[in-house]
Amino acid sequence: MSIVSVTSLQKCYQESVVLRDISFSVEEGEVFGIVGHSGAGKSTLLRCLNGLEGYDSGSVHVMGREVGDLDPAGIRLLRRDMGMIFQTFNLLSSLSVLENVLLPLRLWHVPAAEREARAGELLRLVGLYERRFERVSALSGGQKQRVGIARALALSPKVLLCDEATSALDPGTTISILDLLLDIRTSLGLTIVFVTHQMEAVKRACDRIMLLDGGQIQGTGPTDRFFLAPSEDLRRLVQDEYAQFPGGTNIRLWFPREIARDAVITSMARALDVDFAIVGGKLERYADDVRGFLVINVPDPDRERVLAYLEAKKLYWEVLGNE
Amino acid sequence: MSNLVSALLSFPAGVVDSLMRNQDALFPAFGETLYMVGASTVLSFALGFFLAVVMILSGPKGLNPAPRLYSVLDIVVDLGRSLPFIILIIAIMPFTRLVMGTAIGTTATILPLTVAAAPFAARLIEANFLEVDRGVIEAARSFGATNAQIVFRVLVPEALPAIALNVSVLGIALVGYSAMAGTVGGGGLGDLAYRLGYVGYETDVTLWCVILLVALVTVIQKAGNLIYSRLRPDA
Ligand SMILES: Nc1ncnc2c1ncn2[C@@H]1O[C@H](COP(=O)(O)OP(=O)(O)OP(=O)(O)O)[C@@H](O)[C@H]1O
Ligand SMILES: [Mg+2]
Repeated sequence: MSIVSVTSLQKCYQESVVLRDISFSVEEGEVFGIVGHSGAGKSTLLRCLNGLEGYDSGSVHVMGREVGDLDPAGIRLLRRDMGMIFQTFNLLSSLSVLENVLLPLRLWHVPAAEREARAGELLRLVGLYERRFERVSALSGGQKQRVGIARALALSPKVLLCDEATSALDPGTTISILDLLLDIRTSLGLTIVFVTHQMEAVKRACDRIMLLDGGQIQGTGPTDRFFLAPSEDLRRLVQDEYAQFPGGTNIRLWFPREIARDAVITSMARALDVDFAIVGGKLERYADDVRGFLVINVPDPDRERVLAYLEAKKLYWEVLGNE
Repeated sequence: MSNLVSALLSFPAGVVDSLMRNQDALFPAFGETLYMVGASTVLSFALGFFLAVVMILSGPKGLNPAPRLYSVLDIVVDLGRSLPFIILIIAIMPFTRLVMGTAIGTTATILPLTVAAAPFAARLIEANFLEVDRGVIEAARSFGATNAQIVFRVLVPEALPAIALNVSVLGIALVGYSAMAGTVGGGGLGDLAYRLGYVGYETDVTLWCVILLVALVTVIQKAGNLIYSRLRPDA
């Protein structure tokens, strides 16, 4: 039984359809990415999951409850079980770090001793216990998001909704926040729905992703499969930094875990007797292990032979657009 | 005029002398002004705060939109704000008499002052609530806050510095209103300046009234600024 399952969801604002025939499910304990361009409907979809947004037809089933059928009290109970973090953190500037984390506990009338203990524990988890009495305005973006995470976890939710949670942060801070999320996913058994347009965040954190464009699903599947054989849509999302080499054909070779990089390159060079240049490459971390790719530049006369070789060897590859 | 000029010419002895001569009239009048302004600030703030909460709940982007209720309040508040105070005080005299037993005097004046300032207060506080970041409200909803909790645990604390500043704006407006009320039967410095200063040609009384009013306004403004800067988290 999936912890979240959405079926044929449809949502309109006035006459414009923002979400069309959306169906997917999220399994307990996974990090599920919702990826797409600005305006694709990611935030709207995420907000349908905890009832911040209504929907016109279809079904949103979360933790055994049909969100559209809940009364206001039922919605609040659902939200108690679902934390949410935001791109702009959305902390109360009038409160200290500690008071921000205490707020949900106060609103749910958690006894004082218990709530102090819980807030302290969470602030230790996110590494801000020492700064608990400071104003949130004194914190950096990454630290604010850590407070946001602690606050979102205060009521011990089962699901954490993240709306562009790392999009306002620099790359280094993004990584540390993602690692924190992955840690708590494991230690707390959390399910995370992660909305983003950052490819780095997707690769690092998500087990599975769903591509959304114009309010419609373009594809759903395990993250590594998306990146090993990227679709047209995904490619449009990933800014391709290796597309600009003069002359010849740039080919990107993907290396899944089981293939040794060096062996492929050297054996191809030997077998075909072609000269090619390695013009780029990257080791990347997908969810839990390291994979990589190389971009090689092949002279045009050899292009067809190289492609035939790659095809025959059943490698993952793609020709990068030249210019 | 001659009194004023001679008072100024014989400064400072003349000033002290003038103050001594008029203190029996000035200080009770100042006390009355403080009483009127203080009471009506508290009451109009309370009423305005209540109206602002209802408006922020029922407003078009509110927590619990109720378009009809909001448009009624919207009109009432604008009407109350656009009515000149001197007209309002006369218009509601029968009502004042009904509620306070009399329409004349310092205490009776508190009612029209409150009625006049409450819509003003409501608008100021509503604007302060509207300035609170939507994202913060959304965050509160995301962990299951009720509308009442959002108002009192999120909007009020977040808007508090700005509201404190607006209380001083409200108080200062009421200093002006109270002086006007003095001329139609209220007490206070406005009444004194009118009776002794204008009708009775005692120009230095008028001058003293002005000085005391300016001092009062300054103190209220400074107090508001001080509270604001104390409450502002990032100031
Ligand atoms: N309150 C609203 N009223 C009308 N249209 C809206 C409203 N909120 C969102 N939309 C529209 O719905 C579409 C999807 O918006 P949404 O915020 O879900 O996109 P998004 O994928 O989260 O984009 P971004 O990456 O910029 O956050 C957009 O075209 C937007 O203009
Ligand atoms: Mg969005």
